[in-house]
Amino acid sequence: MLSSTPARRIREERYRLIAGVLTVGFSLVVIALLRLQVVDHDLYSELSKENRVRLEVLRSPRGAIFDRRGMLLADSAPSFTIVFRPFPAESVAAARITQSARWVERVAELVEIDTLEVRRHVQEASRTGQSVALRRNAPPPVRVGVEEMRSELPGIEVQVEPLRHYPNGTLAAHLLGYAGEINETELDSLSTQGYRSGDLIGRTGIERRYEDILRGRDGAEFVVVNAMGKRVSALSEGPPQPPEAGHNLYLTIDLRVQRALEDAMANVERGAVVAIDPRDGGILGMVSRPTFDPNEISQGLSAERWKELSEGAANPFLNRAMQGTYPPGSTFKPISMLAALQYHAAKTTTTFEPCTGRYQFGDRWFNCWKPTGHGVLNLVQALEYSCDVYFYQLGPRIGLDHLVETAHAFGIGDKTGIDLPQERRGLLPDEAWYNKRWGTGHWRKGTMLNLVIGQGELLTTPLQLALMMAEIADRGRPLRPHVVQSVAAVPDYRPERPLGTGFVTAAANWDALQDGLFRVVDAGTGTRAKVPGLGVAGKTGTAQNPHGKDHALFVCYAPLDHPQIALAIVDENSGHGGTYAAPLAGRILRQLFLPDSLAAKVRPAPVDTAEAEHAD
Amino acid sequence: MPIRWRLRMTSLDVPLALAAIALVVLGLLVVYSATSVPGAHHGLWTKQLMWAFVALGAAWLAAAIPYRAYDALAYPLYLISLLLLVLVLVMGTSAMGAKRWLDFGPLRFQPSEIAKLGTVLMLARRFDNPKLDLRKIQYWLPALLLTLIPFALVAKQPDLGTALSFPVLLVTLYYWAGMPLGNLLLGLSPVFNVALFFITGSLWWFAGLLAALLGIIRPRVATLIVVLLLNGVVSYALPHLWHHLADYQRRRIETFLNPSNDPYGAGYQIIQSKIAIGSGGVLGKGYLKGSQKALAFLPMRHTDFIYSVVGEELGLIGALTVVILYAVVIVRGFRLAVVARNSFASLMAAGIVSALFFHIMVNMLMTVGWAPVTGLPLPLLSYGGTALLVNGVQLGLLENVALRRQEI
Repeated sequence: MLSSTPARRIREERYRLIAGVLTVGFSLVVIALLRLQVVDHDLYSELSKENRVRLEVLRSPRGAIFDRRGMLLADSAPSFTIVFRPFPAESVAAARITQSARWVERVAELVEIDTLEVRRHVQEASRTGQSVALRRNAPPPVRVGVEEMRSELPGIEVQVEPLRHYPNGTLAAHLLGYAGEINETELDSLSTQGYRSGDLIGRTGIERRYEDILRGRDGAEFVVVNAMGKRVSALSEGPPQPPEAGHNLYLTIDLRVQRALEDAMANVERGAVVAIDPRDGGILGMVSRPTFDPNEISQGLSAERWKELSEGAANPFLNRAMQGTYPPGSTFKPISMLAALQYHAAKTTTTFEPCTGRYQFGDRWFNCWKPTGHGVLNLVQALEYSCDVYFYQLGPRIGLDHLVETAHAFGIGDKTGIDLPQERRGLLPDEAWYNKRWGTGHWRKGTMLNLVIGQGELLTTPLQLALMMAEIADRGRPLRPHVVQSVAAVPDYRPERPLGTGFVTAAANWDALQDGLFRVVDAGTGTRAKVPGLGVAGKTGTAQNPHGKDHALFVCYAPLDHPQIALAIVDENSGHGGTYAAPLAGRILRQLFLPDSLAAKVRPAPVDTAEAEHAD
Repeated sequence: MPIRWRLRMTSLDVPLALAAIALVVLGLLVVYSATSVPGAHHGLWTKQLMWAFVALGAAWLAAAIPYRAYDALAYPLYLISLLLLVLVLVMGTSAMGAKRWLDFGPLRFQPSEIAKLGTVLMLARRFDNPKLDLRKIQYWLPALLLTLIPFALVAKQPDLGTALSFPVLLVTLYYWAGMPLGNLLLGLSPVFNVALFFITGSLWWFAGLLAALLGIIRPRVATLIVVLLLNGVVSYALPHLWHHLADYQRRRIETFLNPSNDPYGAGYQIIQSKIAIGSGGVLGKGYLKGSQKALAFLPMRHTDFIYSVVGEELGLIGALTVVILYAVVIVRGFRLAVVARNSFASLMAAGIVSALFFHIMVNMLMTVGWAPVTGLPLPLLSYGGTALLVNGVQLGLLENVALRRQEI
């Protein structure tokens, strides 16, 4: 096939269009060059001298966070940042000033930071040509001092920037989380999403989970400045891009409930409480102790204070409500009872060997929490008085598989899927787990006896226990716990579907369980949670643990007929649940359900640790 | 046909070779200048010089081997490059938030460059078929799908600029392999549809254009129905989808499509680039004397923004010289596609040249502020080992076509 063939002729024809495209393309470049380098040469020449063009960043405020009634939980407040603006390399005189020891010392003194730090920032700024923050959130005296001395300190300026503000301080700190300045590693991976040095980024809680929505977009404006860095005019080329504010979030949190939880937990050293609305799974309140003040972090922490907070033994950043895992103790007994009824291991009236305070299984003795024993009880009474010996005898009759299946239906050992980061799943050991842990055939059936009273390897989060109570209140309907109720930018926002399947059993079984739980508070181990005129269904729990005294637990829901709130409380290393955790629930429920005048008058009975009926 | 190590000067395309070499030499000088500021990247030009020699050797080799050998290499190379692209996503090294490089000990390279060559050869081989009729779906659809794979993998990095050179390649080769222009335009109509919607914000512009196009082409009824249906679906779905998205989701898409939307990243670079070029004037500030460059305000001055340094230091004269040198490479390259001995060679040349042209345009128009910042370097001129090597091979292949155009 030689070059003068028809193929060649066709190609020549097609080449004409190609040649046209090439001509247009190269011509465009030439036209652009002529415009820049000939027509507008003087303008650009002027701008290039002394780096006259500067970028002014117009910071966008982060979206605010409100509770379900529109009460403010987090917003942005103006703060003052002291910045250094680098000088162009050609402006030798000005650049030399910033190198002088006198200038550095004056700046360090006024801004109240270290001279080494000043030098480091100035070097960084000169290298990149961008301004750097010397001190964020400068207190008023520093700001006033700098503004007065500005004429003597070329390069130093005061800028207004939005600062994250939490008006209620430590209230709901773990749930809200905090936003901090972005670090180098994050910048590397997030720069394509428009993050810049100095930006805030949500690190924990709501602030992190809803970062995308809360974060706005910074605007920018190119301005022309004079040799001393004063603004002369806006650059005609780039129209200013206004900042876009982040979107507001409305939470399911009820500030009244949250306050009641905070008040009740004020004297608890380590522990957590979660309140869920059993009607829709919305989180009404969540407290973890010890706590921290997110304002402290947004205002900038010293390295020592940061270390103290993050490495302290009490670990205040840990959200115990969903990251703390505890043996549920007797708060697990509602599950055991339900499993017994569902799988016909017992009826409500079934009785076993009387409780003498301890029980022999094989060659091992298992103790009841009440050393003097409970005598003969039926299933409902066993729940009411939390008799361990009754449940020891019930356990093998239910069987491990059935017990695990029932617990699983309520989400024990699984993430609840709450819209908060870093939720822990706890542990629900099943046969496969035991076989793996101890080797098939190398573990005793006695293990089951610990599990049925919520001890052994079983671990749950307070959130899981609250969810369990909410689902019991609603007779097994699965719920998805969630914190965000609506998003300003997303009109049809809906919480996600429940992860669990829920639990289906006969109405009579639910009646029996709910009746038993009512009796616990009415006359059993949980009487300290009693509120006059309010039906409360609850269960106490005392979790043995290797870290000292027992953890006190209490779970409940109320009102009995139309449940509006489900609670789970853990008070670490305090003692019996009926003695230490139940009164906290009583206090919360009184504050929420009784008129103010009455709530103040009704006081719980004084704590009497000898009074065994209020134990477990 | 044996390997010919001694290349006959008489059949070599001398202007093409000289223009390419001149660009590489100029590139070395400008990389030296751009990295002459004390501090970052000092001495990069020696690395680039080494790569230039490697590239020259590779070009020689690529020219010496008869191109029928590349015919056989087309699919293996294409598959290997896909594998490398997957590897990049899995274990690549990231820079500026995108994963583009693979590390092999001291060597670091960018598989997307190799994927481009692999795709060119693969398409050239597919379209080198006497029975080829690109009006028929069994011919154009497989090529489309095979090109979309590397496109998607590169876009995922994310490197939209390089990714777009794959569709550019495909469209050029569709046309060059004989797809009627009318069919090609109708096939591309959903793309114009989306583009015009984003630019003008209304669908009427596109509707008018499409009507005019259909009036001129007068396609068969079946084609007409398919085109209208396709555009109908796109036109209906697009605004709905767009308005259904939340603000922040839209923002992400916008930043992905046009990173210079981000005012104090890319937007700042464009302003600095324009100042650098504009202040260069006709004669330039003189070699090694650019102040905008010296202030390090252009962080990618030796790669993506090297043309700004040319414009600033060597002025309009230098910048136009570069344009002319590129024009020589591109025009000579396309002429080779016209005179090539057989259709594989012709398609290969057309594919190589179209990708080069796309890169050159996107980069140059970016530095003068007329195109978004996409992170595409300037072929032959910018610092970058893999790119230089692959471009050396591609130019070698063009010379290969030149050397064998007379053979029977």
